[in-house]
Amino acid sequence: MYVRALPTTDVNRNTEWFTYPGVWTTYILILFFSWLLVLSVFNCSPGIAWTIVHLAHFTVTYHSFHWKKGTPFGDDQGVYNRLTWWEQVDNGKQLTRNRKFLTVVPVVLYLIASHTTDYQHPMLFLNTLAVFVMVVAKFPHMHKVRIFGINADR
Amino acid sequence: MITITYLTALLVTYFGYSFFFTFGKLRDYFDWWQRGNNVQGYAPICLGHEDFFMRRFYHRVQDCFGRPIASAPDAWVDVVERYSDDNNKTLKRTTKTSRCFNLGSYNYLGFGSFDEYCTPRVIESLKKFSPSTCSSRVDAGTTSVHTELEECVAKFVGQPASIVFGMGYATNSAIIPVLIGKGGLIVSDSLNHNSIVNGARGSGATIRVFQHNKPAHLERVLREQIAEGQPRTHRQWKKIIVVVEGIYSMEGDICHLPEIVSVCKKYKAYVYLDEAHSIGAIGKTGRGVCELFGVDTADVDIMMGTFTKSFGSCGGYIAGSKELIQYLKHHCPAHLYATSISTPSAQQIISVIKVILGEDGSNRGAQKLARIRENSNFFRAELQKMGFDVIGDYDSPVMPIMIYNTAKIAAFSRECLQENLAVVVISFPVTPILLARARICVSASHSREDLIKALQVISKAGDLTGIKYFPAAPKKHEEEKDGIK
Repeated sequence: MYVRALPTTDVNRNTEWFTYPGVWTTYILILFFSWLLVLSVFNCSPGIAWTIVHLAHFTVTYHSFHWKKGTPFGDDQGVYNRLTWWEQVDNGKQLTRNRKFLTVVPVVLYLIASHTTDYQHPMLFLNTLAVFVMVVAKFPHMHKVRIFGINADR
Repeated sequence: MITITYLTALLVTYFGYSFFFTFGKLRDYFDWWQRGNNVQGYAPICLGHEDFFMRRFYHRVQDCFGRPIASAPDAWVDVVERYSDDNNKTLKRTTKTSRCFNLGSYNYLGFGSFDEYCTPRVIESLKKFSPSTCSSRVDAGTTSVHTELEECVAKFVGQPASIVFGMGYATNSAIIPVLIGKGGLIVSDSLNHNSIVNGARGSGATIRVFQHNKPAHLERVLREQIAEGQPRTHRQWKKIIVVVEGIYSMEGDICHLPEIVSVCKKYKAYVYLDEAHSIGAIGKTGRGVCELFGVDTADVDIMMGTFTKSFGSCGGYIAGSKELIQYLKHHCPAHLYATSISTPSAQQIISVIKVILGEDGSNRGAQKLARIRENSNFFRAELQKMGFDVIGDYDSPVMPIMIYNTAKIAAFSRECLQENLAVVVISFPVTPILLARARICVSASHSREDLIKALQVISKAGDLTGIKYFPAAPKKHEEEKDGIK
């Protein structure tokens, strides 16, 4: 089965991989496989496994999308050194399809995790905190905002 | 537009990259944890994770890139063998070389090694003028060969005047800042070469990108930008330059020049055409993409090209109107301060142009041009019949074979080298992340038998790595034989 890939106009190589087909499916599949992995390694209930996946997803995506600034390449001359990955995606344009998808995924994970743990206490608190931070960080108003100077440049 | 198989190419490539990325990050964390930060008081050389890609991805497959050669880049080339003791972090050369069929050099017309007309003249000029002029063009670096070269190039390309520089990359990155500055607009194709991107960034002008080779999108971008004007002040743009290439070296496709020139004329934008790969290789008499499409050279304002591909030399040129070249000669730093092109190299270019035009008294030029066209069309047709995903236009001597998965490009390259075939493989960050490829450059000096043997090696390597994404064309007479039985 074949797909057509249109050449992208994004010059930032750190984010242009996100404009090709297959990224969303791969993301969802990675989450699903990591749930299976957690279930098989820790031998816990499905709800706890989803909570672990949700919290791990929160840590990894917060660190790579909203904390780390710049690009893993040296030859773009540091033009993106003050921007996090989230601020670089789609060239800074807000409310594109990619951004909406990436905002919906943590919310859906939160709903699955809370439902499968029957909304019980320590898990519900941690999950809610994680999804709250994730979604607020992705608001259009938070573009290039550094609260209290956290993660601002030296 | 590229057609990719969804499951086997796309998803597998994404999984592969995320796997490598995770492991690379884990290794970096362990490294940082163990070693800590011991550069007391100094700023780190690499900021943040700037060299992450280089260390964790590129170094794993480093032996596929930058292979040293020990002979002239002819149809067959001596590749130096290397080995590594520390898992590809450093590679050591041995004294052994292997003779490989060269499908990687940009040797389009076969002038990359000894030529019966050009080389004696180059040696003569080497003895008369010495290897370097040891000076910039305006001081003492202009010889009679340099002036003859500029006239020759201008006549060949079809423009009133031209100026020649010693380095092709520096031609783009030093000329664009001279032509346009802050308050100007550069609209460049999304797949333009790094030299153009660097020149554009260095100029200070606003840069906008249009979708690769789509004149309709170029028109939309121009209309939007002309309507909005300069950022923040919304004044009109001081000038607009549209930069396109003749043949895109990573895609092998030829630019849609007539449509782009008509769009630019409609909106009064200047056209800058970079013919690095197309000059000398396409067109009936080798004059490049303007001749191929029948575009009047007076419509293209600035024609740029390099001598490293079809001419077997070094350096680059800009051809345009007399006023433009006069302006460049007075303002371009590459002309005023950089050392002029080496005189024997200039003589090589003049001799090659004479051979191409038939002025050396033989018809070798026309034969070479016909042969490169035949070779490239034959090779491309055969690869596509075998089921490979080959992109690029008909008639273009550059044919990338799509591989998509980075692990497979390393396997393909190593397998081909074992069978004495030297191919160039390209992956991220030069190409988009999904679209890693092996790029074949066909030359006029390749013979038909050698090409057929190369096809067999590529087919075997392709079967081994599983990159024949399309069904192979059935062999017709064998089917009939089975039917009769």
